[in-house]
Amino acid sequence: MRIVIADDDFLLREGVAMLLRAESLDVVATADSPETFLAAVDEHEPDVAIVDVRMPPTHTDEGIRAAVEARRRRPGLPVLVLSAHVEQAFATELLAGGSSRLGYLLKERVGRVEQFLDALHRVVGGGTAIDPDVVAQMLTRSRPDRGLERLTVRERDVLGLMAEGLGNASIAERLFVTEGAVHKHIRSIFAKLDLAPTDRADRRVTAVLRHLQSTGAQS
Amino acid sequence: MNNVKSGTRGRALRTIVLSRGRVVLDALEHLVGGLGTALPAFVVLVWLLLVALLCAVGLGFLLAPTLPRLVRAPAERERARLSRWGPEVIAMGAAPSGVRAALADPVMRRELRWLLAHGTLGLAVGAAGATLAVQAVQDISYPLWWRMLPRDNASPNLVSWHVHTDLDALAVACFGLVLAAVFVLIAPGLARLQAWPGRRLLAPPPDADLSLRVARLSATRAAALDAHATELRRIERSLHDGTQNRLVAVTVLLGATRRALARDPATALPMLEQAQDAAETALAELRTVVRGILPPVLADRGLPAALAGLAADCGVPCRTDIDIPGRCAASAEATAYFVTAEALTNISRHSRARGASLTVRLRGGLLALRIEDDGAGGAAPRRGSGLAGIRSRIEAHDGRLTVTSPPGGPTVLEMELPCGS
Repeated sequence: MRIVIADDDFLLREGVAMLLRAESLDVVATADSPETFLAAVDEHEPDVAIVDVRMPPTHTDEGIRAAVEARRRRPGLPVLVLSAHVEQAFATELLAGGSSRLGYLLKERVGRVEQFLDALHRVVGGGTAIDPDVVAQMLTRSRPDRGLERLTVRERDVLGLMAEGLGNASIAERLFVTEGAVHKHIRSIFAKLDLAPTDRADRRVTAVLRHLQSTGAQS
Repeated sequence: MNNVKSGTRGRALRTIVLSRGRVVLDALEHLVGGLGTALPAFVVLVWLLLVALLCAVGLGFLLAPTLPRLVRAPAERERARLSRWGPEVIAMGAAPSGVRAALADPVMRRELRWLLAHGTLGLAVGAAGATLAVQAVQDISYPLWWRMLPRDNASPNLVSWHVHTDLDALAVACFGLVLAAVFVLIAPGLARLQAWPGRRLLAPPPDADLSLRVARLSATRAAALDAHATELRRIERSLHDGTQNRLVAVTVLLGATRRALARDPATALPMLEQAQDAAETALAELRTVVRGILPPVLADRGLPAALAGLAADCGVPCRTDIDIPGRCAASAEATAYFVTAEALTNISRHSRARGASLTVRLRGGLLALRIEDDGAGGAAPRRGSGLAGIRSRIEAHDGRLTVTSPPGGPTVLEMELPCGS
């Protein structure tokens, strides 16, 4: 797997690169600004890009905009965005054009190497990886009149994991239930939320995220 | 015994000459500075009369709306000038718009009276003083260069005799000395006379004083809140992009180490070392951030010790004379600390001084700081400079900053801070 990393913090950039190289993954280039990142993507045609949200010059959302631009230049390029804190606006901006081959994780998740690698592989494989904190924020901000309160506790757990981008098998593993049970929960959730049922993980995530965003409390 | 006495007398004489010299030089500076506002005042005065005349043919009415601003501009410059030496004359801000509003404004009416006085009397006094000084210098040095003048034109101004010999020229020099003596005697009086209309007429009428004070306080309060927000942003930025990133790096490295331990323990050691480095960097950055918020030394040892510590760390030798009985409000102490730190940094970086001194007094609820250096001078509070930062910090606390820094030095910063206790 060929990887490009963009982060203006030297220590962090090299730390992530070292970690990935130790896993026998191929970090082909590292960049410290949006410009050098886009140049590296053009030059190396990586399989996935890992991008920090805050980069020069203003240290606000340059990373998101660089990710969107990179995907405009190379449609379908898997991108995993790392953020120092949960900002739903960033996630919304990033996922505006669909959630396939995209990830949005808190930076410290990288330290949980197995889960980070899992998320990375999911994004490269066409799926989605949304940070549990982002999903939790979406769930708590959801207005009470839009069907979520009709879900059982277990169904809410499944919905959360589904929104993170996990497949049926992974959800079953996390919740210590069978895949058949997960399947049943999901059908029930889609029915209660008035969503068209689908088994493809990426479409499912998009549908769920759209639903959560559209029901977000207007503050 | 006699020697000792004459020595003491000599020193006393020197002190008198030095202090008189300083007073006269200050007076000259004020007279010339007064000319700098009297000339614009004169021009505006002439323009005012011209526009009044033009009103007779109708054209003046088109030009009239610009007049209040034109009157206000030199008045504001004079206020700023007067505030730099002597009691503060509060700035008035924007002029009223429209001639009718301007004529109804008591402040504007007083400004018009000032314009009349300063544009004529002030101009004459300034010109007379400056001419006197220039003439004195010219006459005293006359013997040195009079031979270079054309034969038939060898008499300086104000001198009735013709200069044909060196003796005549020496007489001119003596006359120059008389002029200089006259200047030394009357210059401070002239400067006061020139400033008098401004001090009387540009100061707000007594009843307006309070509302102006409130307006000024509101402005400085807004500036204080701005400064506060900027400060918070700076702290957020350094925590976010510094400390937090270091800690994330620690977790990333620890994660990598765990994997390495399971796979090949030999590769884990360098990773652990890097993780420890990152944690130590995080600690160091955290300390810097904390020191930038409120230096712990202030809380631990109080302002006098904290200031003495700053002086001891200064790049040039710095004498201190600090006398602060009791404590001030924490915000005033922090401001005093930061501006002193900034000023001393400026001195060691830019002034090329060989020595500096820091004097701090607490009098009548005011914390007075005086920082002096014998460096190159020419310091000006330009935008974004250290001095501008000092000024905004001081003004945010409704304090005052006076900078005296002629080219060649010395530079003196005088600050007053209400200490709120």
